[in-house]
Formats: sequence, structure tokens, C-alpha cells
Amino acid sequence: MIFHSLDFVVFFLVTVTIYWVLPHRWQNLLLLVSSYVFYGWVHPWFLALIFATTCIDYGSTRGMSRWPHRKRALLWLSVVTNFGLLGYFKYVNFFVENVAAALGALGWHVPHAVLNVALPVGISFYTFQSMSYTIDVYKGHAKARTSLLDVATFVSFFPHLVAGPIMRATNLLPQVETQRRFSPSAARDATLLMAWGFFKKLVIADNVGVIANKVFALKAPEFYMLWAGVFAFSIQIYADFSAYTDIARGTAKWFGFDLIKNFDHPYLAKGPSDFWRRWNISLSTWFRDYVFLPIAYKMSGAIKADRALGLDAITWAYVIGMIVTMLTAGLWHGASWNYVLWGAYHGVLLAVARIAGAFPKPRKRIRRWLAPLQIAGMFLLTSLGWLFFRETEFAALVRDLQLSPSQATVLGTQTAVYLFGLAAIYSAPLWIHSLWVAAGGPDLVGAMLHEETRPHLGRVAAQAGLAGLLFAGVLVLRSLTTLDFIYFQF
Amino acid sequence: MSWLSLGLVVAGALVVPLGLRAVSPALRGPKAAPSYIPAIESPRERAPFDTSVVTDLNQARPDYIAIGDSMAGSRIALGDLSRLVGGRGAAGLFDAARGSAYWYLAFKNWIVDRGIRPKAVIFFFRDENLTDPLFRVWPGALDRVAMDQESRLNEILAARVNGTYHQVHLTTQALYKHDAVRAWIEPKILRAPTALAADGPGQTALLDAMNDKVFTLETLRPMAVADMQAADDAAFDFRKFLPTSVLPEIIRLGAESGIHLAFVRVQRRPEDHRPPPQSPALQRYIKDLAAYLVANRADFHDDWGDPDLPLEMYDDGDHLKDEYRSFYTALLFRKAPGIFR
Repeated sequence: MIFHSLDFVVFFLVTVTIYWVLPHRWQNLLLLVSSYVFYGWVHPWFLALIFATTCIDYGSTRGMSRWPHRKRALLWLSVVTNFGLLGYFKYVNFFVENVAAALGALGWHVPHAVLNVALPVGISFYTFQSMSYTIDVYKGHAKARTSLLDVATFVSFFPHLVAGPIMRATNLLPQVETQRRFSPSAARDATLLMAWGFFKKLVIADNVGVIANKVFALKAPEFYMLWAGVFAFSIQIYADFSAYTDIARGTAKWFGFDLIKNFDHPYLAKGPSDFWRRWNISLSTWFRDYVFLPIAYKMSGAIKADRALGLDAITWAYVIGMIVTMLTAGLWHGASWNYVLWGAYHGVLLAVARIAGAFPKPRKRIRRWLAPLQIAGMFLLTSLGWLFFRETEFAALVRDLQLSPSQATVLGTQTAVYLFGLAAIYSAPLWIHSLWVAAGGPDLVGAMLHEETRPHLGRVAAQAGLAGLLFAGVLVLRSLTTLDFIYFQF
Repeated sequence: MSWLSLGLVVAGALVVPLGLRAVSPALRGPKAAPSYIPAIESPRERAPFDTSVVTDLNQARPDYIAIGDSMAGSRIALGDLSRLVGGRGAAGLFDAARGSAYWYLAFKNWIVDRGIRPKAVIFFFRDENLTDPLFRVWPGALDRVAMDQESRLNEILAARVNGTYHQVHLTTQALYKHDAVRAWIEPKILRAPTALAADGPGQTALLDAMNDKVFTLETLRPMAVADMQAADDAAFDFRKFLPTSVLPEIIRLGAESGIHLAFVRVQRRPEDHRPPPQSPALQRYIKDLAAYLVANRADFHDDWGDPDLPLEMYDDGDHLKDEYRSFYTALLFRKAPGIFR
């Protein structure tokens, strides 16, 4: 089931109404059943996979609690089976094709079959979430739960099941286990968050997505047209993914849950590290904690020399750890070399930024003046990364990178200016929102983290007006071409 | 207060858009009138029905009338066709970028209802055009051929778009009248960036040039074209879509008025030296369409796969080059003699 469908609207209203008249344990059962209905709506066989993942991690963690001396073996059981399922459904064709291509390059032409199976949506998200529970139990950060219902609800909680944010067991499981109570203030903020999410998806992402799709469907776009398309895609992917997160967080809030904030105005980032603190925060922190830090610790211990090529051991550990982490993160996005390239590109950016950070910083006053340039520069670097991400044909990517502005025709340039302008118009609310918050304005759509005892009337009035404007915007400006959420494919 | 604040935000979401209702009459223009297809269109200002075509047809009283879009326009040389058919010759009602709803209204309002009785009316179309009444129907597209009331077409369009989404749209539209605002603002947004890209007269031409030269089937990657064709397969279900199309109405009007009908499917652009690809679904669709037309005593001629229509004859897209118009006209006359009997 997708958020921007009437099916979901009916499903949500019915579920949330029943939910709040049930006692706590029955609420969890309802959440589990409704999550399975949500996930199996189009392909019921997907449910077998998520149930298998749940059982593996529930069984592994129960085993760790019962047989502590076998913790390591049980951890491997979870990791191997989870990655096995993920690998089979997501990477087996990629692996077989690349092995066949490599053997072909060596002169051994082997016939290979292609697995004709639909990629279960959200498998990367819930596999990582479920596995993090097992790892946390293994490390002693979380205790093994006895209730299969609670664990199954944690793994399948429908608002964020398909495209995150990826929640840690230490955060979400306690929320599953404790009594929830309905908070009108939270529901109010949730409503506005959902309205903003729907607006971003239906008005911004889908309208600029049409522009990006048009450009990336061309056999030979000119230089400026290509970059107008990249600009449109940069907006589309942010609006689309953050819209999903906002709707997910808003929906969860209606059920009394708090999901973590996954985006923090990433296009205001002043550098690569800053960008990854603001973009897909749940995934970047997952990779930081479970991939980067273990590698970096291992490397810092393994590197014996104090300095090599002018860098100290800590910096080398960071650089190696970061590049490996970002390569893995790229591959997590999809079984395609362009994602690996995108990950490698960001790994190099982060490494270069780290090395550059070793040099003395300019004075604070100068840094303030430099900030707009840093933001613009990082946006350009991020956009170049999105070209790697969006362009799935390697030959086309090479051609794109060889394009020169000197070859542009008048019509091509005019088309590019037009597409750029159109993308800018449709995305104006997104930029205004980011700049408003950056300037210190109150974030009316950012859901509150604490309970209010007396809501501020001015804020409520502004929220009411904004909710109406967003709904009016959807009625008048929504794209007639509805596109799937981009992160569904991961 | 918390409950009140939740109520206020929900109320705000529902009440503020009523502003659209308030401004929509102002945006609609003083001459806005209820549409002839209210199932899919809000009241708006319309261009008048074009009576000059009726006057011309009444004077000429041609034996054959061809109806179609630029596909027919780039293929039929009316002077040549008139010479070939003799008698009172042939007339063409060719309008670029129009579809079957337009052709139906042209046939009904310009020919049948005006008492004009040619020997035959020939419709030129591509693939599933005849069973897609929504193809190229946008505000104003049908004004030239529509009367103030087009109840049958409205019923057909309503049946085609009917569904839960349409019901929701009708409900919100009844409440907020947002379509008028959309109709006002959308063209403004789409045209606004042309001011950045071109000067004065070039601004209008830019959008046409982008459609005709930059984003055409020929400039797309093969996979993008294939995706478009794959997406079309869902539309290639003749039996499903026939009842909600204008084709039965065209057939009925032809039978009642005693006008013989003919339908010519023009060939899309060939690929290299092969005919354009046809999916199995499209092949089934054309077979069902042909059977239906023959059962209703209409002629059907299919250009697809004709070796006399190679790629060299094609200009942009599916249009033929000007110099092949006479050739095609003679070819059709020779290969589809039943139409001109």
C-alpha cells in the first residue's frame, strides 16, 4: 500500500479509530495485523519474508539470552540468514551478471540465468532494523524480548516499514512495550507534518520528477539540459524521500509513537560531514555505528606507523573506514554499479573533507561570510553525486561527464533555462522552508518533541492556516503524473 | 486547549481551501459558462462553435470527407484525392493534436446534424485512438466542434473516468471549486519560465519547439520508448474500452444517416527497415477492432507493415514528408478500393 492512495487514507482512518479504543496488548496486535495488511496489500508473499526475518531475529536473541556462550554463533546465524535473504532477492542477479561478465572478459563465456523475481519493497530497511536488534542484544545494549508480538510489531510497524526511518530497537521497542496515550497536541503536529509530506510528494516531488524523467530519458541531452535535469532530480529525491519520512512520522505520531527525524535541511549543509548529519540520518547513523566505527577502531589498532603520506594513523583509519562504509552504503541502495560509484564518491568527499579539516580554519567572522559559498558548493557537489545515482547506464554517464557547454545549441540552452526555472518554481516552498528555519523562524511543520501543557495560540493559528494552504496547494497544484516514492525500490 | 488546537488545525485544513471557492468566480472570467462536458470540466469561457466549416461543406457538398489529426494532414493531398474520386471530390477536416472525441463531434456537428451526406467519411487514426475518448481532451480542445450541450459525449467521458478517485475529485470540486483555480494558475506556471529563456514572440514558440524537437520519440533512449509502449499495453483492451468510447456513437450516426464509414489506421514510424513494433496486446486489439468495424459494415484499412511506406518517407515522429503526400493518397486509393467504391 502506498501513502498517496485512497486505500491508505481509508486504512489509516479505520485503523487509528479502532486503535484508540483498544487496551495496550490489543493495540499491538492491531498494529501487527494492520502492518501485515499494509505490507502484503499488493504482494501477499512478501509477508513470508518479513515473518521469516522476524522469527530469525526473535529466535537468535532468545537463544542469546538462554545460551550466552553461543551468542557469537547466534549472531552469525542472524547476520548470515538476513544477508542471505537480502542478497538473494536484491543482489543475486547483479552478482551472477558481473561474474559472467568477468569470466567473459577472461574468455570463458558461461550462459547464466536471470532470476525473475520482484524485489520485495522495503526489504533493505526492515532487514537492517531487525538485524540491529540482534546486534544490540549481542552487544548488551538491549535485552532480548520474550514477546514475539512485540518484536514482530517492532519489525513491521507499518508507518516506516517501506522506506524508513530505520529505528533502533533501543528506541522503538520500548515504545511498543509501554502504554501509549492519545495526545491531541501530538496529533495536531502529526496532521501538519502529514499535510507537509503530502504537499512535498504530490506537488513538489512529482512535478519536478517529471522534468528529471524527461531529461534522463533523452538519448543525448546537451550540457545545460543535463544539469537542469540533475537539478530537478536533486529536488525530487529530497522532496520525495523527506515527504515519505514526514508522512511516516506523522502517521506514527497518531498512534502514539515518535520516529526519529530523518532529514534536517540537507541542502543547507556546509560540507560532506554536515550533509550526512542532515541526510537520511537514520541510515547514516546505522552505518556509522555498525560499519564505520568497528572498521575505524580495527584499523586504528592495526595501523602501526605513526604517520604515512603526511597523515596520522587516526586519519588513515577514518579515511579507510569511511570509504568502505560509503561503498557499502552505495551498494545498500541498489544492485547496480552506479550506486557503488555514488557511495565511493561520497566516501572520497568525506575523506577529503576530513583531511582538509586538519588544516587551520579561518576566523569565525570570515567563516560566516564563507557560509553561503560553502552551502552553494556543497549543493553542487551533492548534485554531481545525484548524477551518479540517477544515471543507471554507465556509457551514458561517461557521455554526460564529457559534455561541454560549448556544444550547446540555442534551443537546448533555452530548454535548459526553462526546465531549471520550472523546477525552481515548483520547489520554491521547499527552499523557503529551509531558509526560514535556517534564519531562526519557528518550524511549524516540525513536530514537537515534548508534550505541551498549554499550546501557544499564535502557533496553533499559524499551523491551522498552513494546513489549509497545504491542502489547497495539493488540490490546485498536484501533479497529474503520480510517481512512486524513489526509496521504495531500495 | 489541546483538543481545541487539534480541532483548529483540522478545521483550518478543511476551511482555508474554501478560499479557492471564493476566488474561482473571479478567475473564471465574466463569460464563463457551464461546460458541455461537465463530468470532467468546470465552467469556463469557451471559443465559439465554428460555423464556417459547415458553410464550406454545404457549398462543396463533397462525396468524401476525411477526418483526422496531423497524421491525416501529412498524408492526404485533397486535390489529388478529389481528382482520383471524381464527382464532387473530397474535403478534409484535419486538425493537429486532436483525438477521437473531437472527430466524433466534427462528424456529428459539422456533417450529420447539418444534413450533409457524403458517400463516405474516412477517419484516420493511430493504434488505440478510437477507443480513447480522453486522448487530447483538454480545456478548449473541443470548443470549435462542440455545441452548448454534448450530453452523450459527457456520459461517455463520465463513464470512462468514473471511479473512486473521480468521485473524490467531484466531491472536493463541489466543495472547493478548485479546478477553476487550477485552470487559471497551471498555464501561468508552465509559461512563466519561458520569460527567462526567450524574448517576446520566442516565448510562445519555445514550448512548441521543445515538444516538436527536443522531447520527441526519436530523441528518447530505446528503453524510455519501450517503457512508453509497455505502459500503453494496458490501453490495448478493445472489448473493455469500447463501451466507454465514442466509436459506437460514430457507427450509430453513420448507420442512421446512411453515410458509409471507413477507418484507416496509419502506420507509426518504422524502425530502420522494419515495421514499427507491435506488442501482442496491440495485435489483439487491432484484430478485435477490425472485426467490430466489419461487423458494423464499416471499411477498415491498416497501413501497418506496408512495404510501400518505408522509413525514408517519414519526417518527424509519425508524420510523412510533404513530398510523399500525393504518393500516399494514390497508394491509399489503390490499396483500399472499397472505401472509394
